[in-house]
Order: sequence, then C-alpha cells, then structure tokens
Amino acid sequence: MSIIQLPSMISASPEIFLAGAGMILLMIGVFRKTDGTGVLSMATILCFIVAIIAGFLYGGQENAFYGMFITTSFTQFSKSLILVGSILAVVLANDYMKTEKAQRFEVPVLILFATLGMMMMVSAGDLIALYIGLELQSLSLYVLAAIRRDSLKSTEAGLKYFVLGALSSGMLLYGASLIYGFSGSTDFLDIANVINEQKDNLSLGILIGLVFLISGLAFKVSAVPFHMWTPDVYEGAPTPITALLAISPKIAALCLFIQVLIGPFSAIIEQWQQIIIFISIASMTLGAVAALMQTNIKRLLAYSSIGHMGYALIGLASANEAGISGVLIYLAIYLFMNVGTFGCILCMRRNGQAVEQISDLAGASKSHPMMAFALLVFMFSMAGIPPLAGFFGKWFIFLAAIEAQLYTLAIIGVISSVVAAFYYLRIIKFMYFDEIVAPLDKGLTKNLRTVIYGSMTLVIIFFLAPGTLVSSAAKAAKSLIGVNG
Amino acid sequence: MYAAIVFLPLVGALLAGFFGKIIGDRGAHLVTCIFMAASMLLGAVCFYDVALQQNAQTITLFTWIESGNLKAEWALKIDTLTAIMILVVTSVSTMVHVYSIGYMHHDPHNPRFFAYLSLFTFAMLMLVTADNLVQMFFGWEGVGLASYLLIGFWYQKPEANAAAIKAFLVNRVGDFGFALGIFGTYLLFDTIVLDEIFILAPKYVETELTFLWFSADAITVLTMLLFIGAMGKSAQLGLHTWLPDAMEGPTPVSALIHAATMVTAGVFMIARLSPMMEYAPDTLTVVTLIGATTAIFAASVGLCQNDIKRVIAYSTCSQLGYMFFACGVSAYSAGIYHLLTHAFFKALLFLGAGSVIHAMSDEQDMTKMGGLRKRIPLTYWLMIVGTLALTGFPFLSGFYSKDLILEATFARDTGVGYYAFYIGIFVAGLTAFYSWRLIFMTFHGECRAPKSVQDKIHESPLVMTLPLIFLAVGALFSGKLGYEFFGGESMKAFWGDALLVLKENRTIEAAAGVPMWVVLLPTIMFIVGTSLAFYCYQLKPDLPKTLSSKFSGIYQFLLNKWYFDELYDLLFVRSAFRFGHALWKKGDGAVIDGLGPDGISSMVRRLSGQAVRLQSGFLYHYAFAMMIGLIAFASWYIFGFGN
Amino acid sequence: MVQAIAFYAFAFVTIAAGVMVVSSRNPVHSVLYLILAFFNAAGLFVLIGAEFIAMILVVVYVGAVAVLFLFVVMMLDINFVELRQGFMQYLPIGALLGLILLVELFFVIGIWSFLEDGSMLTAVIPVQNITNTHALGNVLYTKYVYLFQAAGLILLIAMIGAIVLTLRSRPGARKQKIADQLSRRSEDILDVVKVKEGEGV
Repeated sequence: MSIIQLPSMISASPEIFLAGAGMILLMIGVFRKTDGTGVLSMATILCFIVAIIAGFLYGGQENAFYGMFITTSFTQFSKSLILVGSILAVVLANDYMKTEKAQRFEVPVLILFATLGMMMMVSAGDLIALYIGLELQSLSLYVLAAIRRDSLKSTEAGLKYFVLGALSSGMLLYGASLIYGFSGSTDFLDIANVINEQKDNLSLGILIGLVFLISGLAFKVSAVPFHMWTPDVYEGAPTPITALLAISPKIAALCLFIQVLIGPFSAIIEQWQQIIIFISIASMTLGAVAALMQTNIKRLLAYSSIGHMGYALIGLASANEAGISGVLIYLAIYLFMNVGTFGCILCMRRNGQAVEQISDLAGASKSHPMMAFALLVFMFSMAGIPPLAGFFGKWFIFLAAIEAQLYTLAIIGVISSVVAAFYYLRIIKFMYFDEIVAPLDKGLTKNLRTVIYGSMTLVIIFFLAPGTLVSSAAKAAKSLIGVNG
Repeated sequence: MYAAIVFLPLVGALLAGFFGKIIGDRGAHLVTCIFMAASMLLGAVCFYDVALQQNAQTITLFTWIESGNLKAEWALKIDTLTAIMILVVTSVSTMVHVYSIGYMHHDPHNPRFFAYLSLFTFAMLMLVTADNLVQMFFGWEGVGLASYLLIGFWYQKPEANAAAIKAFLVNRVGDFGFALGIFGTYLLFDTIVLDEIFILAPKYVETELTFLWFSADAITVLTMLLFIGAMGKSAQLGLHTWLPDAMEGPTPVSALIHAATMVTAGVFMIARLSPMMEYAPDTLTVVTLIGATTAIFAASVGLCQNDIKRVIAYSTCSQLGYMFFACGVSAYSAGIYHLLTHAFFKALLFLGAGSVIHAMSDEQDMTKMGGLRKRIPLTYWLMIVGTLALTGFPFLSGFYSKDLILEATFARDTGVGYYAFYIGIFVAGLTAFYSWRLIFMTFHGECRAPKSVQDKIHESPLVMTLPLIFLAVGALFSGKLGYEFFGGESMKAFWGDALLVLKENRTIEAAAGVPMWVVLLPTIMFIVGTSLAFYCYQLKPDLPKTLSSKFSGIYQFLLNKWYFDELYDLLFVRSAFRFGHALWKKGDGAVIDGLGPDGISSMVRRLSGQAVRLQSGFLYHYAFAMMIGLIAFASWYIFGFGN
Repeated sequence: MVQAIAFYAFAFVTIAAGVMVVSSRNPVHSVLYLILAFFNAAGLFVLIGAEFIAMILVVVYVGAVAVLFLFVVMMLDINFVELRQGFMQYLPIGALLGLILLVELFFVIGIWSFLEDGSMLTAVIPVQNITNTHALGNVLYTKYVYLFQAAGLILLIAMIGAIVLTLRSRPGARKQKIADQLSRRSEDILDVVKVKEGEGV
C-alpha cells in the first residue's frame, strides 16, 4: 500500500477557516441561545473579513485538493465580492432581527455556511465539487428563506425554493452524469481535454449534458425560464434574506457559470453561446416587462434582478475578456445598488410593521429626505443613468457584446433597459411627486444608515475612480481566459 | 456698381433688422431710406446705361451651386428688361420707404418694418436680375417670405395672420409649379442658365416629355408649369384669392408689394422667358385666356366692394390680367409698358388711399367716408391724377399702355385675341366705373363718418405727400415718355435681345395698322364708365341701392367675389382639413402612435399582464416551466438547429 | 446468460415498481413499491460488482428512509386523492414532455461509445483482490477528502435546518425535570393539617 501524500490545502485556507469557525460559532450559539445573536453576527462578520484577507494572502497560489479546488485571480475577485455581499447581508439581518425582535442565532451561522458553499462553488474544479458547493449554499438558503417559520409566506417561500431547487439540482446532476459518462471524468481539466480532442465531432451526450448543467445553473442565477421561483421567494423571505438571495448567491452562481463555461467548455463556445444568448434575451425582456405591473417592491426587485442577470449574461455570451471583466464589474456595482435598495426597503415601516407596497413610499421625499434621495440614486443607477455606477456596468457589458459582434443582444439590452427605466422611475415618482398618505416611521438604525449611505456614496462616486475595480476585474478575466483560451 | 443696386437694400435691411434697437426708429429710417435712394439713383444710371445705351451685361459674383452638370451662379443678368424692372422697383420702393416714415410713425416696431421693406426690395431685385432659374426662384421665394412677413406685420391681428398664411399657402401652389418647371427645364436642357436655355429652346420644339403614361410637348409643359408659378405670384384667376386678403398689411406694403412690384413678378417672368414662350403657342393661348378672364373677373368684383383698399386690390388684379394677355398675344413690350405705368399710378392710388385712411383714423370702409375733397385737397387731386391715369384718360400713362395692349390683341387676329380684346374694352369701362365710384364715394357728397373721426381729419404730412407727388409725376408722364420705346420706332433697338418675338407674332408692329374705331374704343369706354359712375353716385345716389336689391343675385355674386373663397374652402380647405384630421387621428394617432409609442407601451403592459399571470404561485406550474425550458433547449441541439 | 436474465428481471421490476409508486391509490402501497424498487436497484448494483453500494442502498434507503416514509404516511392524515386532482389535467402535457425527453435521451444513448482508454480516467483503478469497501476507503479520506468533508457540512446544515424549522419549546408541555424532583423537600410540599372532628377539611 503506497502512502498517499497529504493534499495541498493552503490556497483553500479561507474556506477551511470558515468551516471551522462556523462550527465553533454554532456551538457558541447553541449555548448562548438567542441573546448571542448580536455577538454571533459580529463574529461572523469578523470571520468574513478574515476570510477576505486570507483569500488575498493565500489564494491564487496553487490548486488545492488534487485540482478539485481552483484558485485564480478570478476566484479571488468573485469570492471577495461574495464575502462583501454576505457581510452586508449579515449587517442587514442583524438589524432586522433586532427591530423585529425575532432573533435567531442560526441566521448568521447559516449565512456563513451559505457563503462557504458559494466560495466552494466558485472554486470548484470538479463536477462533484461543484455540486457539493452548490448544495451547501442552497440548503442553507432554503432554511434561511423559511426562517420565519410562523409566517405562512416565509415557509411557503422556503418550501417552493426547496422543491424547485431540488428539481434544478436533479437537472444539474443528470447533466453532470451525462458529461461524466461521455467524457469519462468529472475533473474540469480532463473534460476540457476530451472536448478539445473531439472539438469538431462533439458527442451529443456531452452537449446534452451541458444543456442540463446550464439549466441547473440558470436556476441559480434565476434566468428565464428557470426564474419562476424568484418573485415568490423574494416576496416571502424576510427582507434581509431576500437581500442576501439577491446578492451573494447570484454573484456566486454567475461566477460559477463563467468558470464552467469558459473553463472546460471553452472549446465549444459556439454551442453554448446560443443558449446563453437566448436566456439572456429572455431574462432581460421578462425582467423589464413583468416588473411593470408589480405593486410589491420586493417582487419588483425580483424581476429587476432577473433583468440584471440577463444583462450580466450578455457578458458571458460575449465570451471574451471584455465580457468577463464586464460581468465582474457589473456584479460589483449590482451588489452595492441592491444592498442599498434593500436597506431602503428595511426602512419602510409603519407603526412598527414592515410594509412592502410601492405605494407606501408615497411622499417619502418629505418624510425621509435622505432615504428617498438614496433610493433615487439607486433607482437611477439601476436604470443606467449616467454618471451613476449602474450606467458603467451596462456600458462595459454592451461594449463587450459589440466587440463580440452580438449586436442583437446589445440592442435588445438597450431596449429592455429603456422599458425597465419605467418602473425604476415610477418608484421615484411615488417618492417625489405623490402626496403622503400615511407617513412611514421615522428613525433609522446606525447600521442601516451606514449601509445605505455607504452604498450610495460608492454608487455616486464610482465614476471618479473606476480604475481600481476595472483593472482588477480585467486581471481576473485575464486569469480565466488566459488559462483556457 | 450694379451689384450695389441689389445689395444696398440688403445692407439696409440687416442694419435696421439686427441693430434696430440700437439705432432706433430714426436711425432705421435714415439707413434704409438712404440706401434705397442710393440704389434708386444707381438704378437710374443703370437704366440709362443698359436700356438707353444698350450695354446689356451679365455680372458673375460667385458660384453658388456646382454639382455635376448643375451649375448655378450668383450672377446679375442686366439687360433692358431688368433695367426697367430695377428702375420701377427701386423708385417705387424708395417712395414707399419715405412715405412709410410718415405713415408708420405711430407704430412701435419701425425698425422691423423698414428692415422687412428693404429685405423685400433686395429679394425683388434678386429676382429681376437673376441669370438662372434657381437664382430667380431664390428671389421669388424671398419676396414671398417678405410678403408673408409684411402682411402679417401686425401679428396681433388674427385677420392679418390668417391673410399672411393664406398668401403664403396660395403662393406655394404656384411655387410648386415653378419648381416643377425648373426641374423639367433642367431635365430637358440640362442647364438652368437662362441664356443657355434660350439658345437651346428652338432645338427642342418638337420634343415630347413623357411622364408616366402621359406624353406632351416638352416646351408647352414646361412653360405651363412656369406659368402656374407666375399665376400664383401675380394673383391670376384661380390663384388670386390671397391678394385681396393681403390688404390686411400696412397700406405702404400693399402699394409696394401687392400693387407695384411683387405681383408683377409673374409678368416679368413671362417676358423674361419670352424666348421659351414663343415656342409654346398653346401656353400663350392659355396665358391670354387666363389674363382676360382675370381682368373681367376682378373688375366685376371691384364694382361692388366697399373697402377702399380692396377696390384697388381688385383693380390691380384686373390690370395684371391686362399685362398677362398682352404677353399672351406676344406683346411683351406692351405688357411691360403697362407694368411700368401701372406701377406708378397704382402705387399712387394705394398711397393716396393710405393717406385717406390715415386721415380717417384707420377707417377703410368707403360707405363711412365722403366729402373729403375739401378736407384733404392735395390727396384728392393726387388721387384724381392716379384715377385718370388708371382709367385711360387721354395722354396720361394708362391711356398709352392700355391702348397699346388692346390694339395688339386686336392685331393678333385670332379667336383668343378677339376674346381678350373685347373683354379688355369692356373692362376698361368697368375700370372707369369703379375707379370713379371710389373717388365719388370717398371725396364727394356728405361725410358719413362719425363726428369724432370727422374732427380729426387732416392732410397728411409732407413726408407722405412728397412721394405721392413724385409718383403722380410718373403717372402723368411715364406713358408719353415711354411710348417711343415700348411701342414706337425705337422699340427694337431699345429692347435689344431682352425679348424675343417670332416674326409671325409681331403684334405690336401690326397694332399700328388697326382700324380707327379700335383706337378710339377704349377712350369711349372711359367716357361711358365715368359718366355712368357720375350718374349713379353723384346725380342719383339711390340708384346703386335699388339696382343692387333688384339684381340681388348678381350683386351677391359679385360682392362675394364669385364665391371663389367659398368654393376653395369647400374643395380644398375643408377636404385638406378632413384629410389632415384623418391623418392626425387615424394616421398619426392610430397608426404611428398606435403602433409606435402608445402601441408599444400598451403592448408592453399587456405582455406584462400576461407575464404576471404566468406567475401563478403553483409549484407545479413553475416546475413545468423549467421542464419545458430544459426540453426546448435539449431539442434545439438534438434536432440540429444548434449547428 | 444468467447475468443477462438477472439484469433484465431486476431492471424490469425496478421500472414497474417505479410506475406503481406513482400510480397506486393507496400511499402505503406506494411506499411499499418504493421499497421494492430499492431492492431491485440494489440487485442491479450487485450485478455490476458494487456490492458495497448495494448494501448501503438496502440499509439506508430501505432500512431507514423508506421505513420512515412509511411511518410518516401512516401517521399523517393526508388526503392523496385530493392532492392528485390536478394529475389528470396535466397528464397529457406531462406525458408529452416526458415522451420528448425520452426520445431525446434515446438519441443520446444511441451514439454512446466507450472512450478508448476511458478506464484511465476513472477515479480509482480497480484492483482485483481488494474489496469494494476497501477500495472506497482508500480514496474517501485521501483523494476525495475535500468532497467527503464538504458532504459532511451539508449534512450538518440539513440537521441545523431541520432543528431550526421544527424545534419549538412549548410552554405548556410537561417534561420530567430530574433535578427539580431530587431537590424537592418534604417541607415545601407537605402541610400537616389538623382536622377537627365532624367538620372535614
């Protein structure tokens, strides 16, 4: 019997740290019960920060666990985004639980494990690792969505998410097994080699496997037609959890999407590009059109995020360096716009009760001038109005599409962003031009204020110094394309 | 030097228009009048040099358009015809400028008014000096614009605005014909330069022009189209409706634009294009017919009008008819002759009428005038001079030119010629009648104005009467002085190459041999008309009323201007409105908005509703959607669309 | 030959049992058919020499999961007839979709070909004289340690989830508190009362 060497693990240290920390925090939580929630939240945030630092220190060195765990500049970049998103979500969640007096110590722990799952997804270098990471984050999120188990809406949301998520996992697994069956391996590098060899005479099995895989992943980014869960779950889940759902898992799933398609399947871009173009167009259109009739702001944001994912998929469809860096920039900007917006939604309380109708915002510019202004900035930014950050996100994406000669995609993107501008502006109209019917409660907690104003500032001043983000996104894109392309 | 004639008014217009606020009323008066006077003096020099010394020339300023074969230059073609026009335009314009200083002194927008006047003069000079059709069209449109601006000068008055728009629109119909004529000319001759066209014209006599399935004689078609342009500008029957309404503008404007100069542009154009017209006998026939019919139509309407300016306006229309049928029988020289004399006496009449209106505190209705002879004697006598000249009192200007025209039509010796002749004779009587009617109603009898107005009646200041005197001199003597050149022995030398009359069409030479009764008939008609007017309005003042009630049908017909406005309203205006309404509601509203902004937004709304309905909330629906999507994607590849 | 017969028998029964799971009216029967399907699947695994997975399948799925199902189904009063009401309504389109998918998968299977040297790519080169369990043990903690640990995390989350969503402390529920019982003293609970004659308590 040969002695098998211990695998290299150094570049996975952020994940290993988070896994260990998560279990310790869980123990602390179990013993301190609900009064430990605040402490656990702080500790979770601290862990995330440590993970970010560790990611920069140890990430990107070499692949860990026999190539099942990949680290590149790309994964570093996307993990940083995921962690930042999760930190902000924990802040929002902690704040929410305090005001709702529904503290549950499991929430920060589950967010931590979900984040861990996302990081593992992004770093997956193997189909099994991909699936395991995906399930880890999904399972945590199912629980989080249903965390208000006494609320009918919340449990319904959790259940729907779970059942449909299971279906999508089934598709993904079926695809993975087809790919394994036809290529003989679950390892991305091996799959890439097999596909490269039979580039001109690709076996249908791999292609259909890829279709199933893409369908499973499209569910995670809530791309049309796998988006149906999104509005219901967004509406039903507690608002900070919705914020989390809208941010980190989306970033993770999209980065995984890129990682898989640009990775092992880079040789057959022409094949998968067709599906991506279709779901991108469908998502943009549906995101723009269906949101028009929404009255619930969380549902509206669900469609909005479907649309945003459509735009981001344009960058993936472009499949060039500009496209990938465009997606990363888009996601970074999307993160802050969404966190800020959900922060504003958390401010919407009347008589101590959270309200979620768009019409509840009527006259908010008078009662909450700063919050209304922040929401105005986020809405303008989402609509893509220069010089706010959202404009640049779209701009880079469309630029990439044009570079890849996907003119139709770019044109449809522009048209649907025009349609989408309608409902963003409608929110502004409610806040600034309508009379107050019943005023919202005054007073924002300090954390909420920090999150909202911080995001707002970033969204506003992005155009002053976009260089850092753009250059690191370009570096990340290069690390991905450079290896495989 | 001759370029200065054209551009001095432009400089004046620009100065008064853009710096009116700085230089003030007085400055605007001075600038425009001095530049106009200088232009007039140069015009006189030019007339002497070009017309009398036969120094016809073309001055090229610079190239305007050059594109392929198409070449249009800014060039001044100055020959006898142009020199006459320059003389007429500059002198009448100068008089009107000076007169306006007095007439408009109440008005707060003097600089603007004078800028428009000078701008008009510039455009008119550009028109008459054009050496190619495009440049002529530029001037043509320029005078149209200035006319629009001046008719609508009192833009606070809705009638003035309506009249300005009407003038512009009716002129557009004519301009459309003119433009088509220019296109056709370029198509046929491959050039738009007048001199080249004139050289080429004889070679294309038999050429046919085919449009769709129609085929017609090329030159006839072109000249007809160009004549439509002339009809519009010169208010000939059919396109005349704007002229009476144009009287809403200030009276000096009516005198300058709508009597002496702009409306004669059509006559000028026909004369200018005589080398083409001569090869299109059918067009000449049409010109004669239209001209004669206009003459009788306008004169008959003039009989019943009570607005002093409208009477003169219809008179103008009628006299333009004379000029046209003169051209129609190839007596271009006679037409231009009448244009010249008419400019003087009609400007005189208009300005005189303006003086009357001025005296009567802006009253234009003759039924509220009367007995002004004693109160404003100078104006009275000047008006008498104008009327005598117009009605063809022997040895005054109108007598010569009108007689020449009528003799030429008689000498034409064709059916159309005789038609024009007899109408001309009859119209001469009508002219005398309505002109004297005007004089009698305005200046004789009892004053019918209210007391308050009567107290303010005053003679016009010197600045207004001096131009009148100058014009009266012109009206008295221009006929006698010009006869030699326009109808006499030196005609051929005088015109040089400016006009072309084919050998068989030399009606003016032939006019010398007409019978005596033809020569005397116009004068007899003058006496008849004058006597009738005297009888009706002096001896039996009640007669017109009884006549009008007895023949109320005819009276209403004439009073309503042959119902042309109503007819056009019915035929064109309403149907255009209906058409426009249909385009607006159905075309724009239903189709463009419906399919465009509104349609898209409502479609998006509908789609949105459907997309929302898909979101049923049932888990199995969602799962179904996912499965369908998956299977659709898989099928896409399996059945080979993906490759 | 025997293997082929066995394979077809197992495969047929598996599929037939699967159909019965979906179509039987009685939910208890459904679960029993499920167990039958699991057994046959285990048989299939045994046929390809994966006896460890076969046993795991029987132990975990039949022994734990399916039996748990049976308990749940029998304990909960779920009206399956009502649940199935929409079934017929969606049957045609569902059947159509299933058919299309089936046809497509036949296409895919139809072009199946084994890679040359495909066996080189498999995770572990099977060694003749070690058992299934041994072979799995060799890789589970070495090559697949990452996945093994991560799978453990998933199970942990599943556990947390189950507890978070279901565990409640009912204030009215009486539980045995041993410490309380032991620390009770007679003085606290006993009261000696003198009862007068003829009066009662």
